[in-house]
Amino acid sequence: MSDNEDRELQALRRQLDDAFETTRPRAGFEDDLWSRMQARRPLWAQVRDFLAGLVAAVRRVPAAPAATVAVVLVLAIGIGIISLRGPGGGGSSLSRESGTAPFAGGAGAFGRLPAPALQPVPNATTAPKTDGPGGAFAGQSTAGLYFGPATLVWAGQLNIHLTTATVYRYAEPTSAAADQFAASLGASRQPGPAGQGGLGAYSGTGFVLGVAGTIPSPLREPLFFLTPDRSTLPPPGPTATDTANAFLTAHNLLPTWPYVVATAQSADVVRVLYLRQFAVQGVGQVYTVDAVGERHGLEVDLRGGQPLQAVGPLPVTLEPADYPIISAGQAVKSALALSPAGPSSIEPIPTVRLTAAELIYALAIGGDHSFYEPAFLFSGTFTHNGITYVKRVLVPAVAP
Amino acid sequence: MVADRPPFEDLYREFMRRIYAYVRAQVSTAADAEDITAQVFMNAYQAYGRFEARNTTPAAWLFRIARNATLDHFRAHGRRERLRRTIEHQPMAEVDPAGVAEERIQYRALLAYVARLPERQRDAISLRHSGLSFEEVGALLSCSEDAAKMLYHRALKALRDSVREGMA
Repeated sequence: MSDNEDRELQALRRQLDDAFETTRPRAGFEDDLWSRMQARRPLWAQVRDFLAGLVAAVRRVPAAPAATVAVVLVLAIGIGIISLRGPGGGGSSLSRESGTAPFAGGAGAFGRLPAPALQPVPNATTAPKTDGPGGAFAGQSTAGLYFGPATLVWAGQLNIHLTTATVYRYAEPTSAAADQFAASLGASRQPGPAGQGGLGAYSGTGFVLGVAGTIPSPLREPLFFLTPDRSTLPPPGPTATDTANAFLTAHNLLPTWPYVVATAQSADVVRVLYLRQFAVQGVGQVYTVDAVGERHGLEVDLRGGQPLQAVGPLPVTLEPADYPIISAGQAVKSALALSPAGPSSIEPIPTVRLTAAELIYALAIGGDHSFYEPAFLFSGTFTHNGITYVKRVLVPAVAP
Repeated sequence: MVADRPPFEDLYREFMRRIYAYVRAQVSTAADAEDITAQVFMNAYQAYGRFEARNTTPAAWLFRIARNATLDHFRAHGRRERLRRTIEHQPMAEVDPAGVAEERIQYRALLAYVARLPERQRDAISLRHSGLSFEEVGALLSCSEDAAKMLYHRALKALRDSVREGMA
């Protein structure tokens, strides 16, 4: 091959590289197609993947500098009331196999209550965790969660003096209730089954919507799941929170319950979290936590400044009832004696100093109703093979 | 999810544009390329549960789906059109003005020449410049890595000759 021919072919290669590199579909095609793919998936799969999404995202960036997974806390405090706008309804079509908890306290209007409990995340002990969206545990933001057995030592302060607290109960929403909620957003039911646990799949102008009942594992309250057509969205706001607020407002989905806004970023996705709170007399606003003890509520994911999806609690009617609460001392004793939520995965069994505790609300399901119940969430960290882990212990606050 | 299998959205975001470019080099319109790309990822999404990362790379897996989808497209719609283009040796008709506007004009003609190459040569060029290794190209075209290299170099020379003739 002559030098000239060689140079000619080299130039052609470069042109081909450039041609393939710069050949792109029309603007918006990538997100359009992704939305279409999401919309065609079974509702249950959409919800499951969303719930696993942040954990997966966090797993993908354990080695990233902490600054790349920044958590910005407390941008605004929303003031509202427990939502009473959503339809209630009776009956349940859900399997309770993995969501049933042992019964706990009983001296209240709802009778004996199922006990809230943490649910282990598969492989959690091998998944060092970056900053959690709730930012609940300052200084522990790069640790993974450990649910296995540990020798626990209490080394903190728990100064909560309560004798009673409110438990909230809701009936499992029906398909008719899901239809009513969808109609309030301007969406109509799509043909076909909604999938396991799903109450309905809907479409409206510029979005698709899924509604699911209480999810046993990972435990979540009834949810809506809204995916917009990204080609029809207005320009982004000045901040992620502004965009999320505008998006939720446009769809009449801004929470009516008390919340604190936080943002978490993973790779190119920004998640705006509306962390749900309940008012506790004598304590103030306390957070709700999910199945692994993370603060949670309604979440809006954004990419490129534009909403990708929103997931939040389906509005349901909450009935309140006061229950007697165990003392702080009893809570500490219970925390140290509680059986581990997960199997042993670290040898030898670690010793963990629990250094923080707070009153929170956690979900528990039982029979035809589910309950938001007060509980004490203890936490501490330990290091194993150079990896820092968080150990959390959840103690039901309702007196047995 | 299997530990060594990344979330599907990661694959989608990494490969969607490359797959589109590969498909676009095979078909005559941007609209066809979008349709086929959409079909590729719909199929891949459904099949992802069966994807075994230890048996193949995500790139090779996706491009295999893309290649099959493109061949299906030609079987269903495009064989006669491709034959006509080859015989007439005319630039491809572009029926999507929006697509024209969004593609780099200077490279569209080059990809049109690629599209007129014989099938295996076209595939070798397209797969290679979509970022696949020669080993992956060979696996997709059912030949060895060395054979894929030879095929690619023959295709490159054929492309050069075709461009020369077109400019003459």
